[in-house]
Amino acid sequence: MITLEAVAARRAPLTLARLSLSWGPGVHSIVGTPADGGPLVLELVAGQARLRTGRVRVLDASPRDAAVRRELALVLLDASLPDALSAAEVLALAASLRGEPARDPVARLATLGVEALAPRRVRTLAPEEARAVSFAEALTSTRVRVLLLEEPLAGVDPRAAARLPEVLRARGRDGCAVLVATASLRDAGDLADDHVLLRGGTEAGRAGSLAELSAFSPDGVRVRIVVSDPQALLAAVAREGAVDAVARRDGAVVARGRDAALLAAAVGRAVVASGVDVTELRVEPPSMDDARAASAGVSTATYEAAYTRTLAALAPPSNGSP
Amino acid sequence: MIATLARPSLARILRTPRALLALGAWCALALGFALAVRSRGSANGADHVLVGAYGALILPLLAYTLVGAILGARSLVASIAPLVRFGAAPTRAAAVTVGVALAAGVAIGAVLAAFVALLAHGYGDPPVAGDALASAYAGALGGAAYTAWFAMGASFGKRGGGRTVLLVADWVLGLGRGAVAIVTPRAHLRNLLGGASPMEWSGRASAAALVVIAVVCVVVAVRRASRA
Repeated sequence: MITLEAVAARRAPLTLARLSLSWGPGVHSIVGTPADGGPLVLELVAGQARLRTGRVRVLDASPRDAAVRRELALVLLDASLPDALSAAEVLALAASLRGEPARDPVARLATLGVEALAPRRVRTLAPEEARAVSFAEALTSTRVRVLLLEEPLAGVDPRAAARLPEVLRARGRDGCAVLVATASLRDAGDLADDHVLLRGGTEAGRAGSLAELSAFSPDGVRVRIVVSDPQALLAAVAREGAVDAVARRDGAVVARGRDAALLAAAVGRAVVASGVDVTELRVEPPSMDDARAASAGVSTATYEAAYTRTLAALAPPSNGSP
Repeated sequence: MIATLARPSLARILRTPRALLALGAWCALALGFALAVRSRGSANGADHVLVGAYGALILPLLAYTLVGAILGARSLVASIAPLVRFGAAPTRAAAVTVGVALAAGVAIGAVLAAFVALLAHGYGDPPVAGDALASAYAGALGGAAYTAWFAMGASFGKRGGGRTVLLVADWVLGLGRGAVAIVTPRAHLRNLLGGASPMEWSGRASAAALVVIAVVCVVVAVRRASRA
């Protein structure tokens, strides 16, 4: 559905260099900061940024083709809606421009739980609310087959953010191509089926899962556990073989391992063994800095240092000491 | 489709109290000048107000305000961006947006000029009905040229700052009667309203020049917006 062939584009200070990618139906992510080129790729696919070289094809045609343009929805961080119209009027206007039958705007907005915004003028909406209206328009359009979304879970009305992942996946299952540009590996892991990591305008790697994403990081995957007795859990986790390192951070225990499944199992065993009450347990994907470091071949020593300190703290006191 | 594309621009004028207030203030100022001249019993009151206040000050600033209101004080590209994201062709969206500005400029320019001519009419002015019609004709052409002029300006700069540059350029270059003045709406509007002509051009030539300025500016604005 979407093909980029040796695409080069420039938006100072960023240059996309000979990028060749393709996506079919489903939910896909481009992982990277705006400075890495994710939003620029979305605008190229939408035909709203200039190519230097290469070719972009969307639905077997140019994205500037009139028929294709109506089947594309681009939602950037800046929602950019007609400011003097109400949210309901914006949806009616969009339906008319896309050439789709008019439907109840309140029902469309209700898909993301923001039907209360229907009568409000766009200029009175907070940026998060305006983004929610943009998402509702894009996700409930019957004409749109390609959705291009920048940071769908950031800077959006919390009512919409709670429903967005499921609605996005549903559109992906319905045969739409949903392309998400995000700097958050967690959001990418939560939303998308496959991932492309961009770094400085070039492709740094591809992954099909959160576990594979962790391969971009020398630190592997992390699990953060908030418990009643962090010191007891720390000791239990440190004895597990699948755990490469463990440390206390902000009152929580953070464990790191190469394999997400093995790490989760090890933490589970440690929780049972230590008998602590778990308040929160969360897999933390590697940060963008980790991924950058991995792709640059740089390893970090933070966890190794923490691991050494932990072992030293847990070592039994020698009997000979005064 | 044209009505759909025109809707955001029309809503910006009709639903923005600040824009309506600013436009109303310029109109009120023009009518105020006309009433003041009438109360003094000036022999050529209409002539004085149309050339002095209306053509030189009020119509340019009114058109400047009008284009700013229709574009939401942004560049032309930014103004049509929401429509383009919903699948509209950039050329068509830009053309309709500029068209709305042009139509509003023509209507306001003509009606205001006619009212000014009627209110400020003095005993030395031409017959009142004919004078009002001729003023409306000049006001319509001036309104068209000025709104197109500022729409083209709004296609330059990230926030459409070219609009202000062209306001200053019109002011500075249009003051004289030389060759430089013929590229500005000010010089030709002044000629049509009975003031000094640029390079001794006839009224008909200035009318044609205003049409040419309007057409060229619209084409440039639309082409620039559709390429961005």
